[in-house]
Amino acid sequence: MLTVTDKFDDETDSQVEPSGKRTDEWSECLTLIGKNEDRAAFTRLFRHFAPLMKAFALSGSTLSANNADELVQEVMLKVWQKAGAFNAEKAAASTWIYTIARNSRTDLFRRLQKFDTPLSADDVSGSQESEEAFMVLHQKRGRDRIRALINELPNDQAQILAKVYMEGKSHSEVAGELDIPLGTVKSRVRLALQKLQIRFED
Amino acid sequence: MTNFHPDLDLITEYTAGSLPLTQSACVSLHISHCRRCQGIAGQLSDLGASLFEALEPAPVGDAQLNAVLARLDEEVPLSYARTSKDTSNTPAILQRLMRGDFSDLSWKNIGSTLRISYLQAGDPQHELAIYHFNAGGRIPEHTHRGSEMTLILQGGFSDAHGSYHKGDFLVRRQGDVHAPTALQSEDCICLVVLDAPLKFIDWKFRWMNPFLKLRTV
Ligand SMILES: [Zn+2]
Repeated sequence: MLTVTDKFDDETDSQVEPSGKRTDEWSECLTLIGKNEDRAAFTRLFRHFAPLMKAFALSGSTLSANNADELVQEVMLKVWQKAGAFNAEKAAASTWIYTIARNSRTDLFRRLQKFDTPLSADDVSGSQESEEAFMVLHQKRGRDRIRALINELPNDQAQILAKVYMEGKSHSEVAGELDIPLGTVKSRVRLALQKLQIRFED
Repeated sequence: MTNFHPDLDLITEYTAGSLPLTQSACVSLHISHCRRCQGIAGQLSDLGASLFEALEPAPVGDAQLNAVLARLDEEVPLSYARTSKDTSNTPAILQRLMRGDFSDLSWKNIGSTLRISYLQAGDPQHELAIYHFNAGGRIPEHTHRGSEMTLILQGGFSDAHGSYHKGDFLVRRQGDVHAPTALQSEDCICLVVLDAPLKFIDWKFRWMNPFLKLRTV
């Protein structure tokens, strides 16, 4: 287990300093944007993340290409505007950015379905940032473990996770689309989470 | 410390953003008070982020980049400045759905122990409401035509399955029958999400069944 994690650490530049601070290119970019409104840092971030956001927007292909482009612009603008609230000691840049993309897409889905609501996805998605240093380190290890193990999932489990997280489909929508029982979807998700060692900690 | 939590399936859908709006609101209020669920929601968000980073990138041209760069000086929407910490006793989500405090809501009395105030969340498939039980009051026995999600905001109640307190999160499924009784010590206030109307079994309340429609507004 440790060897896998170590190997992963070598492959990226992401490291935790003794203070628990994360130093990687994307959190540095976000910090520069937040502190100095650094447009060069924003451009670097855009070139890396905008294509991922567009792929995310098009996953499940319910959005038109126009909607996907609008979503990319909206999310990147939000990243610029909210970067001041990013705290590299508490959050991973990728999770922080993914969360903005996910919430914006959910809001866009609702707008397209003509929902009339005073709530935005941000209002109901809360914050999962930890306050304590040991939890921060713990989460960082968890992230590295997830990334290392994710490629080892069997196809059927990886496919379900992609539908749930990238296409944003509910378990019952996935069951309907794949024409399998809801219980099978739930058990594949749970098996995948077990393999990734994602579990409640009491 | 809460003892009743959303299950892993629900938290997965919650972190994937696929849970209906009103159910997300209910889960999110629980998670804001529960470190156990914060921990797992954090891991699941990291999972989402890992899948996101592993996507096959779709080409985005310089025109898009320039369009965004041209908008960077736009004024930041005020709503982004909102803090995540609640400053009052009423959670931020509920503040957005109601004007004023619980006492300012318009209530509908159901018998002598229960009143209900329907919130306009704009979720077309679900009813979101605040239930207020008087201390010690018993809710007439009822069954569920669909699922019922409950988050206790104040006080607590008990039924044949157990007793529940502030922050506890409960789901009752179709066909579950129960007759909850509020704890004696104080009034109990819950946030409730329904996807189908309740059905009273108690004969004194059965006359209401035809009038119980889902209020989704
Ligand atoms: Zn919990």
